[in-house]
Amino acid sequence: MAKPDVPKVLTGNLLRNGATVYYTGKEWSAYVADAKVAATADEAEELRKIGAAAYAANLVIDVNVVDVQPTAEHTPAHIREVIRATGPTVRRDLNKSMSAE
Amino acid sequence: MALNSSRVLDRNGPITDGWQRLADDEAVKTGASALVSFQRLKNEHNALFAEAAAVGVEIGGDVTLEELEPFLPRLGLIVVRFAFMRDGRPFSVGRLLRERYGYTRDLRAVGDFIPDQVLFLLRCGFNSFEVGPNFSADALKHGVAAYTVWYQRGVERNQTVAEMRLGKAKEQA
Amino acid sequence: MYIYDDFDHTVAQQRVAEFRDQVGRRLKGELSEEQFRPLRLMNGLYLQLHAYMLRVAVPYGTLSATQMRKLAHIARVYDRGYAHFTTRQNIQYNWIKLEEMPDLLAELASVQMHGNQTSGNCVRNVTADHFSGAIEGEVEDPRIVSEVIRQWSTFHPEFSWLPRKFKIAVTGAEKDRAAVQWHDIGLHIVRNDADEVGYTVYVGGGMGRIPVLATKVRAFLPKPELLSYLEAILRVYNRHGRRDNIHKARIKILVRDLGPEEFIRQVEEEWEASRQSGVNLPPQEEMRIARYFELPPLEKIAGPVAAFEDAKKQNRAFAQWVATNVHPHKAPGYAIATISLKPIGGIPGDIAADQMDAVADLAERYSFSEIRASHIQNLVLPHVKQADLFAVWQALGKIGFADANAGLVTDIIACPGLDYCSLANARSIPVAQRISERFADLDRQHKIGELQIKISGCINACGHHHAGHIGILGVDKAGQEFYQLTLGGAGDETASTGQLLGPGFSSDGIVDAVEKVIDTYLDLRQPAETFITAYRRVGPAPFKEKLYGAKQ
Repeated sequence: MAKPDVPKVLTGNLLRNGATVYYTGKEWSAYVADAKVAATADEAEELRKIGAAAYAANLVIDVNVVDVQPTAEHTPAHIREVIRATGPTVRRDLNKSMSAE
Repeated sequence: MALNSSRVLDRNGPITDGWQRLADDEAVKTGASALVSFQRLKNEHNALFAEAAAVGVEIGGDVTLEELEPFLPRLGLIVVRFAFMRDGRPFSVGRLLRERYGYTRDLRAVGDFIPDQVLFLLRCGFNSFEVGPNFSADALKHGVAAYTVWYQRGVERNQTVAEMRLGKAKEQA
Repeated sequence: MYIYDDFDHTVAQQRVAEFRDQVGRRLKGELSEEQFRPLRLMNGLYLQLHAYMLRVAVPYGTLSATQMRKLAHIARVYDRGYAHFTTRQNIQYNWIKLEEMPDLLAELASVQMHGNQTSGNCVRNVTADHFSGAIEGEVEDPRIVSEVIRQWSTFHPEFSWLPRKFKIAVTGAEKDRAAVQWHDIGLHIVRNDADEVGYTVYVGGGMGRIPVLATKVRAFLPKPELLSYLEAILRVYNRHGRRDNIHKARIKILVRDLGPEEFIRQVEEEWEASRQSGVNLPPQEEMRIARYFELPPLEKIAGPVAAFEDAKKQNRAFAQWVATNVHPHKAPGYAIATISLKPIGGIPGDIAADQMDAVADLAERYSFSEIRASHIQNLVLPHVKQADLFAVWQALGKIGFADANAGLVTDIIACPGLDYCSLANARSIPVAQRISERFADLDRQHKIGELQIKISGCINACGHHHAGHIGILGVDKAGQEFYQLTLGGAGDETASTGQLLGPGFSSDGIVDAVEKVIDTYLDLRQPAETFITAYRRVGPAPFKEKLYGAKQ
């Protein structure tokens, strides 16, 4: 039996200012909670294509599809991506939360 | 195979170019200027120099210059290929061909280099550039004018900053 | 320090204009990211986890008060109010916008600064002893030749697209504070039997996943022939260094693959063929540059300075700071003061804009406007009157940088690690912070004595863990941060590579492990031994036993 697909989101950094952003399904948001989640391998492949197109259009760079946990905020699975989503753990004063609230 | 999809530029922009790049099994048209691989030059140099009006060779940055040396007096063109954009070997190869081996005719770069690298190629002795359709001649013209003073002497024997300083000091003395 | 003339200004201005044009073309899509990336890297601009990061060159670690104020201004206007001094004497900003880079570079150029060649596969910013020109016993101030190399390597037409990055370091003293044997080229300024000045040349040192100490390729290179010899080394490397595997592209691998003898033969052959080609610097130009590095107009001060001696007697905390953070100056009555950027629990090397301004004020008032950045991620005021040290120390206390810990266990080197860096596997800074807090007690630190802890968040080794007396390497073990421990590394004239002790530790366990190592050392050390000398005497066995049990 195949393992259930790990949910995934599309992320990158804006070319013009380097900000870490997530694809929401129609635009790019600073918050991982806004991200459109791919539940299946096909949906993940669709995100990859959208990412490649946004890279080719010189909108985002360092484009990746990354694993997230099945939480409301789409908390990334790996610590590297948690830190990307929220900011350096040693400067909480400069952190953002995972959602706009 | 002619240079159909590509263009040849010098530091001022597009130039007309009569060289024909030949595959290793492609016959030389009598009286044409033939650009061949280094392997073919090594194998067929007698026939090539007899049949073609002029002979050019394409080499890579990994060339052993001692092997090329015997042919240099009879070559009209040397094309050095960038294996990829960050391939820095052509810069050394160009400078050595000009400064150590005394090669004086056409020295051309081909491959994935970008307009922003052309000024340094000129300074290492290259004088022409075979480029693809997306290569911006405007960017090249802009790029070669980016710097007017240099800390190092190039193949073009420019005055270095140190030499200009000495000249200025003498003027003031 | 060196001051730009019209020619240097022209080059700097043209660089800003060139990058302005390149940024414009990138934003319009005329340059792809693949094409633009090496161009931005050669201007010091990386993409990290949260934003672009800009590395500004501090040539051979020398800064003026004016430049420091500009760096503070840039932190406020273009970043988030702080910056980070690195292990290569440079300074980094973490929150940079590409579209603001051209204006930022123009501001830097206005104070004779830039991000040139702080990244990319080119000759990087030259590093030198942070006590240069102030310390006793130098053959020559290494900043002179460092400035010569800076100019020669700036936009070099032949050597700007090397197989990999290329780092040069210079020391002018026997005591090596520049870690020259850990560099692609290390230069040690020496005098030969005929009393001529020249260089002992080391090639092929480097850290990363294959730590290698450099090979001595020449015992004595005459000073006037330096640049032609450097070109010979670079040309052999540029032509024959590997370009097919990024992990095997450094010159250390070429030296290893050819064998040191064959490498030296090729360099000498290339040098013989090219040394007369006019690459060497005219001696007048060397003398012109040297004049910028003459000592500032120091006062003649005779005998012990009573106020200074009294202050030490009356204030134990000040005396402790003097013991660790003050080094003798070659001029009587003066001192070299180290500003620790390692407050207990702080982020090693980080400095806020207001603190930068305060350091600039101190430099202006007490150190002829001169500041040094050290590869240990501290700052140095190189020319302070002993009589002023107490005032300097008090002023540093107000900005939180008066810790008396230079060279001690809490003077930790740490790379930015996974908190910022896109290459990192694990965080470095929080480990440094927790070790610092564990050893906060200053008397305990002084009792432990000289000890260098160096932490890298990945195998690229920006935190110099291979050269740490205690080295810590962060790794990713099934998605968890783990830390390996190495002992016995050194970066000085007795350079050595730290040896892996055994299995790694969790983020919680690593601080306990470090403490066990240090307690083991305290138990076994003999009088006057430091950690490194004790380790070299006893080897890893006692430490392994304490950490992993007798069976190991």
